[in-house]
Amino acid sequence: MSQVTDQSAGLLAPPPHLRVRGIHKSFGGVHALRGVDFEVARGEVMALVGDNGAGKSTLMKVLAGAIAADTGDFFLDERPVSVTSPNDATDLGIQIVYQDLALCENLDVAANLSLGNEPVRPGWGFLPRILRPIDDLEMEVKAQKAIARLQVQTLKSVRARVGGLSGGQRQAIAIARAVGAESSVVMLDEPTAALGVAQTRQVLDVVKRLRDTGHAVVYISHNMRDIFEVADRICVLRHGGNVATWRTADTTTDEIVVAMTRGLDQGAPHAS
Amino acid sequence: MPANPSLSLVNRLRILRETQFGAFVPVLLALAAIWGYFGLAMPLWEHLTDPTSDGLRLIFLSPRNIYNLFMQSAVIATLAVGITVVLLLGDIDLSAAATAGVCAALLGVLMLAGVPGWLACLIVMVVGTVMGAAQGLLIAYVGIPSFVVTLAGLLGFQGVMQKILPTGNLNISDPFVRGIARVLIPDLLGILIACALVGLLAFAALRRRAQRAAKGLELDSTTALWGQIGFFTVLVFSAVLTMNAYRSVPLLIVLLIGLTALIGWVTTSTPFGRSIFAVGGNAESARRVGMDVKRIRVAAFGIVGLLAAIGGIFGASRYGSVSYTAFAGGSLLLESIGAAVIGGTSLFGGRGSVWNAILGALVIGSLGNGLDLSGASAADKLMFSGAILLLAVAIDAVSRSDGPGGR
Repeated sequence: MSQVTDQSAGLLAPPPHLRVRGIHKSFGGVHALRGVDFEVARGEVMALVGDNGAGKSTLMKVLAGAIAADTGDFFLDERPVSVTSPNDATDLGIQIVYQDLALCENLDVAANLSLGNEPVRPGWGFLPRILRPIDDLEMEVKAQKAIARLQVQTLKSVRARVGGLSGGQRQAIAIARAVGAESSVVMLDEPTAALGVAQTRQVLDVVKRLRDTGHAVVYISHNMRDIFEVADRICVLRHGGNVATWRTADTTTDEIVVAMTRGLDQGAPHAS
Repeated sequence: MPANPSLSLVNRLRILRETQFGAFVPVLLALAAIWGYFGLAMPLWEHLTDPTSDGLRLIFLSPRNIYNLFMQSAVIATLAVGITVVLLLGDIDLSAAATAGVCAALLGVLMLAGVPGWLACLIVMVVGTVMGAAQGLLIAYVGIPSFVVTLAGLLGFQGVMQKILPTGNLNISDPFVRGIARVLIPDLLGILIACALVGLLAFAALRRRAQRAAKGLELDSTTALWGQIGFFTVLVFSAVLTMNAYRSVPLLIVLLIGLTALIGWVTTSTPFGRSIFAVGGNAESARRVGMDVKRIRVAAFGIVGLLAAIGGIFGASRYGSVSYTAFAGGSLLLESIGAAVIGGTSLFGGRGSVWNAILGALVIGSLGNGLDLSGASAADKLMFSGAILLLAVAIDAVSRSDGPGGR
């Protein structure tokens, strides 16, 4: 009933980069995901929408390896893979930008972008890696490149402390950090939820740039205006299962909202 | 930079704090105020109000007193440097002084049993590290708050120290241990070391600037660069020349500066140090980028333990004896935590520097010294120390870029 997959969208779409099939996940007695299918291609923004409790966050965490699925198959470029820990996901190039961003506000932009992976100067091999001197100049160069790639224009210096930046800039830094880690899949959780108009625009521009650079982008949001602006396809979840996937060009806000709240079976005009 | 008249004092302070050397400003102001008061204002006041006085006597700012001041602050500074490391994590260590006491007592007992001084020092440094790391294990892996674990450590280690020292006092006569506080660097060598330090700093700063220019990175203003070098030069030479004017630079101070430089370098310039700041700033973020938060915590508490042990050795060397009240039972713990906090290190983690802890220790030391000289009672000293601590933290709070109410 709630697992109708829109075949036309699936056939016309580019070959998926990351694809999952039949994901089940229970928390105690709560069946949060009931056999969800999901896919995203390179150079595409796939929006993931649904009402509260639809399973968006759970699905995203499963994809990021933060929680392990009970059952389900993962494919990367149609090759079966297993994702059971955040490290698995990172190794496969899957990165997630959580809603809370998890930036260190006491450190500067360059330090945040290299966090956990600081470049060290050569010639100190007798010390363990964590005690070798950080090559902070190299770190700044890397940071500047990452910022330039995403064209975050308003950022004056990579030596600015993150604590002093605007919400949009922070979101951009968090995205730049995810992209910088050799990722091919970037998942964004409500990236514009707390932002004003200008800053939302900035983040949406960054998302488009990610698509243009061949990343597979999963975009989770409640904001229909943002979704219709950036997304290529929209995947609707309801009660832990798929409703359908639409191409953004073929649908309307009303149709998506109806699918989110009532599903397809109760008179949605899409059933054609 | 042209002055902008519309900036309020607080905003100016905040802008100042954002610069590289800006973090030193509040504690330097506090130090200057205390030195100005005890060194200049008080003698001048006495001279002007007392017609029988025979000329202006600058006791506080005499080389002899400055020398003693540095020596008195050395033990507090050593502990404060260690405590700064755990404060950066957002934790606290209440057991540092008790650890220092246990280590000093053990040192005395070991040497009484005939263990050579250098070996005894090594043994207690290992013991101190283990004591710190053991508390770190409880905090990181069992999940007990550091306040509780180290409070238990404070009580327990005080007891341990009394067990080791049943008489409560033990004289230290070993020439190696006594030498740490007694050996003086010859005047000329002290000046040569100062020249080498200044030269090294200037060379490093200029080379770094050249590298930044070569890589096309933004440059600091030339004024700021030379200002920093000049400031550092004045600081180093005035300290060395003042101490030379009384005796010479003591080995203890050189060891303390070297130790602080090492810890300072580790905390600011290595991935390990960066991870300490990251955990203090946002532990969840550190965990998500793959840092082993628990191991970092244990390592940081190991470092405090090591520095507490070294503080114990320094103390034993300087006092020539080990007594319960000089370490675990006295005011050493609160003074060293106060020194770290006066230095501008946040109790919530992620912000601070070990160099500031040294300056904070000087503030605490100067205050005690100055009040002693002016004949204040122990009660006055306690009240003044409390006021200075509050004042320093208040200056720090309003001058931070996120303003009052933030961390």
